[in-house]
Amino acid sequence: MADEKRPADSKSTVVKKLEATRTAGAYQKQWFFDMKAKVEKEGGDFAVLNADVPMEIFRAMDIPFVVNQWWAAICGAKRMTRKYFGLMQQNGYRADLNSYDAQALAESFDPDDKKIDENGNPMGPWGGLPKPTICITRLTGDVQNKIFSLLADNYGADLYTIENTVARTTPLNWYELAADRWEELYDKDRLDLAVEELKELIRWLEMKTGRMFDMNKLQHVMDLINQQEGYYKKIRDLIAECHPVPVTVVDTINAVMQAQWQRGTQWAVDHAKGLYEEIKALADKGEAAVPNEKLRMMWLGRGMWQDFAFYQRFEQKYGAVFMWSMYLAMGADAYIRNNVEPDPLRALAARFIGMEDFLHMPPWNSSWFIQQAKQNDIDGVVYMIPDNDIQAVEGSYFIKKVFEDAGIPLLAFHADPVNPKKWNAESMTSLVEDFIETRVIPAHDAKKGK
Amino acid sequence: MSIRTCALKSAAFKALKDAYDNREAAAAKWRAAGGKVLGELGCDVPDELVLAAGMMPVHIYADPARELTETNKYLEFAFEPVVRAQFEKLVDGTYANQIDYLAISNSTDVVIRIFLYLREIHRVEPDKAVPPVCFIDWLFTRHRLHQTRDEFVIELFKKQLEEWIGRPITDEQIRQAGAVCNENRQALRAMAELRHGAEVRINGSEALVIIGAGLFMDKAEHTALVKQVTEDAKSWPAIDAPRVFYTGANQEDTALYDKIEAAGLVVVGEDTDWGDRYYDRDYNPDYPVIRGIVDRYLLREYSAKKAVVADRVAALDRETAAAGAQGVIFYTNQYDEVATWDMPRQRKSLESRGLKHITFGQMLWPVNRNEGLDEKLAAFAEEMKGGAQ
Repeated sequence: MADEKRPADSKSTVVKKLEATRTAGAYQKQWFFDMKAKVEKEGGDFAVLNADVPMEIFRAMDIPFVVNQWWAAICGAKRMTRKYFGLMQQNGYRADLNSYDAQALAESFDPDDKKIDENGNPMGPWGGLPKPTICITRLTGDVQNKIFSLLADNYGADLYTIENTVARTTPLNWYELAADRWEELYDKDRLDLAVEELKELIRWLEMKTGRMFDMNKLQHVMDLINQQEGYYKKIRDLIAECHPVPVTVVDTINAVMQAQWQRGTQWAVDHAKGLYEEIKALADKGEAAVPNEKLRMMWLGRGMWQDFAFYQRFEQKYGAVFMWSMYLAMGADAYIRNNVEPDPLRALAARFIGMEDFLHMPPWNSSWFIQQAKQNDIDGVVYMIPDNDIQAVEGSYFIKKVFEDAGIPLLAFHADPVNPKKWNAESMTSLVEDFIETRVIPAHDAKKGK
Repeated sequence: MSIRTCALKSAAFKALKDAYDNREAAAAKWRAAGGKVLGELGCDVPDELVLAAGMMPVHIYADPARELTETNKYLEFAFEPVVRAQFEKLVDGTYANQIDYLAISNSTDVVIRIFLYLREIHRVEPDKAVPPVCFIDWLFTRHRLHQTRDEFVIELFKKQLEEWIGRPITDEQIRQAGAVCNENRQALRAMAELRHGAEVRINGSEALVIIGAGLFMDKAEHTALVKQVTEDAKSWPAIDAPRVFYTGANQEDTALYDKIEAAGLVVVGEDTDWGDRYYDRDYNPDYPVIRGIVDRYLLREYSAKKAVVADRVAALDRETAAAGAQGVIFYTNQYDEVATWDMPRQRKSLESRGLKHITFGQMLWPVNRNEGLDEKLAAFAEEMKGGAQ
């Protein structure tokens, strides 16, 4: 997944020491190989889902699946990106458009995907995806229809799309309502429609796969997810309270993100529990991720997959520690839905229709980001704005404004989280260094009354 | 070949061109007489309801010459350039003086986000001169569930209009407005026969003017002028040039078509919302009024933004056949690139039918910023004429 090499100047003491981070990667790999072997042996259904598709339905129906964006991260980690850019171009497509979302599509053009090279290594990432029979996306962007219809067509799979609606009601304190008062989060008609969408999806899947959907299984899946995300909430709150923090985003992003793709399983609950216990133990010992912690930094945007060590480049020189990313905090605030039992489908609907909005729709994203900055005692924010993806734009003006109004320095820059061609580590490092020196440190000193 | 003298000699065409060139004039006159004007952003704001509310609908359009001072403050560069320029006029106070209300339809990602941004500007900077805005959250997936949802959505839009005008809108008013819109579409389709038929009497630039004028003037008046210009055009000289179909970015003026036709081609049709797609499919008066509106906007020809690739391939095959096109020009602006996902398979299908094509991608806006465009169009025209291979 991410490049976890520790840079020479890193002072982090816990990088790669977290057992949960190591086990998440190992589990993912083994899970994938087991799933792939089963699908290929039995020839059953296999689904590729966009990240915002309610995977809980598939979990409850025991339909094997991978999430498109998780797979994109695997492709990136296996260094397939350049090859896939070439394949897209050879087939007449722009290689630089929606590259994060189009990795599985690019793979579907690869004639070598299932082959073994002269050294006996698989040429496709982890030997390539099993052949999907189902491709499902939500229409949260114009391009989803395109990528998934092409993906389905290339594999001879069935395409299913789930519509997306725009919120009329936008309570600013959504993060306070999401867990227990989720009915108040949305316009009632939006939630009603989302439930109907789920029912139609379920019926379609029952017809397609011959499997029955069992509401009791969904209830169980939802309960497991609440447990898992509950641990993330405890972790987030614990880190927020700790000065210095026991872990950084380098430790938490992979551990959390990988387990999120397994949400709804007992393994994911156990993993989240283990992650919490590890971090709690570090906190109890007073261990610092960066012993000279001075500045607490927030990362806004997708993970910097092509240069994960970037987060650690400012630790030694400035004591600046990236301690907040959306990956853990979304788990803490966006996923939990209590009071599931009366209507598990409605609770699920109340989870999935908000995900894009929480992250990409002003005012929901900006109001949450600033609340999180305050909870985590943030000194400075580095905000990566994707260059080429309209789906990822999120009202950067309003995000910047809310931080400016609160007196928290924010550095916004443009980059592509997948494309290494568009990433210059040196210039980015100096940009952030300049930001820290000219804005974060003075603001921090002023806050501390120096 | 741009707009020809024969067209300019037509009084009806001149009146249409006047409305097309002076886009604020009719709305200003309407407002001066006490009428309300509703700006439309996105191609799926139902004129039927706006007219039934007694308002004049006008399309929001971009000004290529204007500095994007406000836009650069609020919008990321992933927003396509035409929409960025439209946004400038929405937030710099221009439209606050020209329209009373703004309706945005869920026609493409980018305008959804424009709605979110404008709504947020209203919330955090309430003194900013931005017109009151509402959003029409159409769903374009062709399933029963979404058709039913769309009826609810259009009812919401109707209620918003009623709130704005302070009175209910009756079914009869909607039916009458539907008839006005249908007559307009039928007149435009009759006009289009002079582009699609065996002999081409109206070129692409002239057609853009005839169609586009309707986005800025009284609809009944537009219909009368379209009918008249269609009669006039029957005696205009037939155009002897390779026939091309245009697909891609909306063209809010004739600059690109002027270039295409100056190269020796003639544009006989397009799938854009400022072209043929504007008048595709009528409002069905036999349905309950709201269902009739949903039927028209949900089921007209697929847009590039809201359809899967296979549907778009089939749509282009249908449209090029109906227009008698011999070739296709694909043209997309930088950051307006959703349609590019359709193109590889569309090109393959065209080739299987013996149609030539040329693709212009990541183009700058406005059109005249693109170096070498004239030369490439000239080379394509030569190829179309059977010259260079």
